[in-house]
Amino acid sequence: MYILARNIVRFLVVILFQVLLMDNVMINGYMVPYVYLLFILLMPFETPRWIQLLSGFMLGIGIDLFENTLGMHTAATVLIAFVRPYLLNLLAPRDGYEPETFPRIHYYGFLWFLKYTLIIVVIHHLMLFYLEVFQLKEFFSTLLRVILSSILSASTIILSQYFVFRK
Amino acid sequence: MRTLLRFFQNYSDLLLFLLLETIAIIFIVQGSSYQRSRIIGLNRQVSGYLFSKVDGAREYLSLRGANQQLVNENLELRNRLDRISGQMDSAIVISKFTEPYHYFYVPSRIVHNSVFKQYNYITLDKGKKQGVFKNMGVISDQGLVGIVLESSNNFSTVIPVINRDFRLSVKIKANNYAGILQWEGESPLYAILTEIPFHLEILQGDTILTSGFSSIFPEGIEVGTIESFSLDKGNFYDIRVMLSTEFQRLFHVNVIRNYRQEEQQNLEAQTR
Repeated sequence: MYILARNIVRFLVVILFQVLLMDNVMINGYMVPYVYLLFILLMPFETPRWIQLLSGFMLGIGIDLFENTLGMHTAATVLIAFVRPYLLNLLAPRDGYEPETFPRIHYYGFLWFLKYTLIIVVIHHLMLFYLEVFQLKEFFSTLLRVILSSILSASTIILSQYFVFRK
Repeated sequence: MRTLLRFFQNYSDLLLFLLLETIAIIFIVQGSSYQRSRIIGLNRQVSGYLFSKVDGAREYLSLRGANQQLVNENLELRNRLDRISGQMDSAIVISKFTEPYHYFYVPSRIVHNSVFKQYNYITLDKGKKQGVFKNMGVISDQGLVGIVLESSNNFSTVIPVINRDFRLSVKIKANNYAGILQWEGESPLYAILTEIPFHLEILQGDTILTSGFSSIFPEGIEVGTIESFSLDKGNFYDIRVMLSTEFQRLFHVNVIRNYRQEEQQNLEAQTR
């Protein structure tokens, strides 16, 4: 129950934080850190998959409404919500994830979290940026934007682990 | 039947994923500029309110830039005033100024702005109550900004030059030839000018102005300068225009209300 309440609050906070604060952080006029992925990243291990998918969908719609990009964030967020369980299996430590723990630096260390975050962020950004351009003409310039933005998003997310979600 | 049920049971997550993903794709494909603007309309009241709150802080932090912009605009206006008062001396011109307003400017503040996306939008803090309506032009002290897409009571959204849906007729100052200005989504600093035929002589650094053909903008508002051009598309130039408006640091803009827009459009509709 406590975990559910915490996740609902996190859902709202993450959307507001993204649209009100992070969207104003523009580096080079191109890149925005998409920190709202934190919500997906931090969902408990044992969350049923359909809940993961539905909350990814709702999160995407929430961001889309504010960013005027109907459907784009939704598609990207649903995709990572779908991929996440497979990725977690792939990255699992030898004796599995311990009960009562969450996918965070605090429990599984910096390197594990870095891999986990980077893969999720890159998948999300690839989907998002190519949907936005919706053509292959600018393939390489878009790829560059994906790479740069992924680095920015991932580092912001990892930093937040040290400042906001320490425990 | 049993196998079908088992199939759904086994693949329910995959099916749900495909369903949600399809919904999202339908949103994107169906979301033409018009629908997008309707959805924004639903959301504008809420987000407009939120954005204007946050913007208070942002504006305070960027007072320096805003001041500079206002100073520049003042200077420009004073220059223009000098020029006009020179003309006023000749009696013929005066009759022009005794007519009622042709254009009226509504000063507004930007409460939300994006520059790094493919479909960028700007939100202004003025709406219908303050006389800002659909299809009005928006300019800054630096030049062309965009066109009002929708307005609610106290807010309005603007489709700026740096949006893939933007199209406007503009002309080259040196030879008065008109072409279409659009944006290809690469950099917020540059736009593309098309439909200028290859036989014209153009130079790097030529000024681009609004053509005044659209009844949205008065003639002669600065758009930018020619950065480079090439001839690879058959009979027309492909001209890269460096925009004079810096969309990344924009705080105050003016919305242009053309009192004769309706008259002009009615007349044009009749003749068609």
